[in-house]
Amino acid sequence: MKLADVMSAAGLASYAVVALLLFMGAWVAVALWTFLPRRTARYAAVAQLPLQDDRSAMRTEE
Amino acid sequence: MHARMDTFSYDDVVVRKFLWATFIWGLVGMLVGLWIALELANPAFNLGLAWLSFGRLRPLHTNAVIFAFAGNAFFTGAYYATQRLLKARMFSDTLSALHFWGWQAIIVAAALTLPLGFTQAKEYAELEWPIDLAITLVWVAFAVNLFGTIWKRRERHIYVAIWFFIASIVTVAVLHIFNNLSVPAGPLKSYSIYAGVQDAFMQWWYGHNAVAFFLTTPFLGLMYYFLPKAAERPVFSYKLSILHFWTIVFLYIWAGPHHLHYTALPDWASTLGMLFSVMLWMPSWGGMINGLLTLRGAWHKVAEEPVLKFFVVAITAYGMSTFEGPMLSVKSVNALAHYTDWVIAHVHTGALGWNGFLTFGMIYWLAPRLFQAPLYSKKLAEAHFWVATFGILLYVAAIYSAGITQGLMWRAFDATGRLAYPDFVETVMRLMPMYWVRVAGGSLYLLGMLVFGYNILRTWMARPAMYDVPVMQAPPLAPGAAPVPAPGPAGEGRWARFTAARWHRRWEGWPFLFTTMVVLAVVVASLAEILPTFLIRSNVPTIASVKPYTPLELAGRDLYIREGCFNCHSQMVRPLRHETERWGEYSKPGEFVYDHPFLWGSRRIGPDLARIGGKYPDLWHVRHFENPQSIVPRSIMPTYAHLLRRPLDLPGIQRKVDAMAMLGVPYGEALTRAPAMADAQARQLASSIASAGGPADLADREVIALVAYLQRLGTDVRGAATVTAQAAASPARSPGGTR
Repeated sequence: MKLADVMSAAGLASYAVVALLLFMGAWVAVALWTFLPRRTARYAAVAQLPLQDDRSAMRTEE
Repeated sequence: MHARMDTFSYDDVVVRKFLWATFIWGLVGMLVGLWIALELANPAFNLGLAWLSFGRLRPLHTNAVIFAFAGNAFFTGAYYATQRLLKARMFSDTLSALHFWGWQAIIVAAALTLPLGFTQAKEYAELEWPIDLAITLVWVAFAVNLFGTIWKRRERHIYVAIWFFIASIVTVAVLHIFNNLSVPAGPLKSYSIYAGVQDAFMQWWYGHNAVAFFLTTPFLGLMYYFLPKAAERPVFSYKLSILHFWTIVFLYIWAGPHHLHYTALPDWASTLGMLFSVMLWMPSWGGMINGLLTLRGAWHKVAEEPVLKFFVVAITAYGMSTFEGPMLSVKSVNALAHYTDWVIAHVHTGALGWNGFLTFGMIYWLAPRLFQAPLYSKKLAEAHFWVATFGILLYVAAIYSAGITQGLMWRAFDATGRLAYPDFVETVMRLMPMYWVRVAGGSLYLLGMLVFGYNILRTWMARPAMYDVPVMQAPPLAPGAAPVPAPGPAGEGRWARFTAARWHRRWEGWPFLFTTMVVLAVVVASLAEILPTFLIRSNVPTIASVKPYTPLELAGRDLYIREGCFNCHSQMVRPLRHETERWGEYSKPGEFVYDHPFLWGSRRIGPDLARIGGKYPDLWHVRHFENPQSIVPRSIMPTYAHLLRRPLDLPGIQRKVDAMAMLGVPYGEALTRAPAMADAQARQLASSIASAGGPADLADREVIALVAYLQRLGTDVRGAATVTAQAAASPARSPGGTR
């Protein structure tokens, strides 16, 4: 039996539905995780990185 | 006690090089774009030169602006931002140099081979196999350099801009490799391993995601770094940027099939592509809103700073084109827009507005810092902004009008139920005023580019005799330190302990794991579409009457590819009434099982050719190639008189047949005597042309092969209603497989 036989027998809709559910689940998990209130302060600090990159890596005189 | 400090400096030499390459190639790409716009407005601009014809120059324009202009802009910003965000010099100066010079060499190779007609005939993936290999090597050098820099970084957190860079690098690698798999048939000739429907699917899986992961995600990374720098305030919502990133990674890869609505692609795939495209609107606008709100409280600066003006228009253009993209992916809208200039207007809103303006803003911000001299003229930068903005507006207003006009004229019926505009050239002529407005808009944008170049050049001329190379200090990351804090107190609940593990921070802190997650998302999504397309038999019902091209027709098909005919002509009749009325029976998946590569096209500057075989006499085609306007007086097709002069490479046909046979095309007798078979067919055809009053000496000329190919198109299925899919013992044709 070939893979093509198995896939042809399984029907088309199942692939799209399973993948859609997987991705939707992963996305919801990321969204929930991202918006946990406890992370707010940390994100505020991280957002400053582009503004600090010249300052926090201190420039020295040679 | 003092913590140990590392001292280091940033490599801005490579950033400066990429900056200049961005300008130079941008100028070249836009100049070619303007020239082909002129060719469409007046075919005399083709100058009768094969290498200057629209079909050959159009891929040069798209490759130059995407991979040379936007690519070098991405590298400019990425090399600058990565070093500073990670507090580390690039991993290897040698790899940086290899990346820079390798990329420029690839661009030069593209600029030489595309006008000479060496092409794979896949949009944005036209470059032939040796150049594809070089791209792979240079891309690996870039990836190693970037991941090496991440590995030796001195900043724990990997800022979201770098996530976008990582996603771009790994996804482009996957797309490039799998779309370009081919069998060489010569030093600069190859055939895609995929055929027909499957090749079309792979191409637009690649094509759409080239837009996503070469023109969108890298530039989003640049936006998340340079916009806060220019506005001197942090991104509006870091949470939203994380959500923006993951949503784009999850959704974008699915959307490619929306480029193939109503074609022979199975309906389930195109519907899936449409659904994910519509969903993409959400993260795209989340990103746009995040960008614009970053300017909260700083809008007064926009009036004063050209850098911010460029950024605001860039982000707005991103919003507009990412609203329009999902809209165009809806089947009913796509039925009107597909093959028309509407899509060209959509692309240029994104390219000129989003990619172009973000690049200009970034370079205006970078130039004084990299050249260590004040910007030569803020007024010139303002002038550039307004000239280019007006240029974009002229361009897109004209071409949106042209696209919608085309679409409506093609589908119009008169009161008697007949096509209102049966003569295709009539629909072309209606666009001419709009094509001239496009030339004006493009000229303004190019003028802005020249002003930009002058401003940057004068800034560079004011540079110090020797650049100051600041020596930086930062503490190293503690070796082996876990990036994850200890779990929460034992008394907390299970959920609290789970969240205290900070999974997302683990991924960020462990970039290779993070990268794996991105790859996994991309690969799983791709396989969910690709495997059913390739393996389920009902996707490509075979047609018994469809046979391989004869050796002469195969050679003609390669000439069709060489001349870039697919840039103006489609070979796909959609199952829509106005299409079948105009072109004939709609196209079936089984018609294309021997088409390596597929040649469905994406535009109809000229008529569809899927059913052209037998429609006109052989001599008609010869005369038409020699002087299109002598047959269709208002045609904008360039002359192909050189096809009547150039000798046909008969011995070379054997290599083509052999390569096709390797891909599973069932050539029997032709495997041993393809040139002789081609010669016999050519003589027969030439004799028929001569007896009809045409030139007498065409048997050994290229035009014979091209006429043979065109006269074959659509004839296999004419009158054949024998679709024999399910009963076939073998699976749907897969790469390298046989029927």
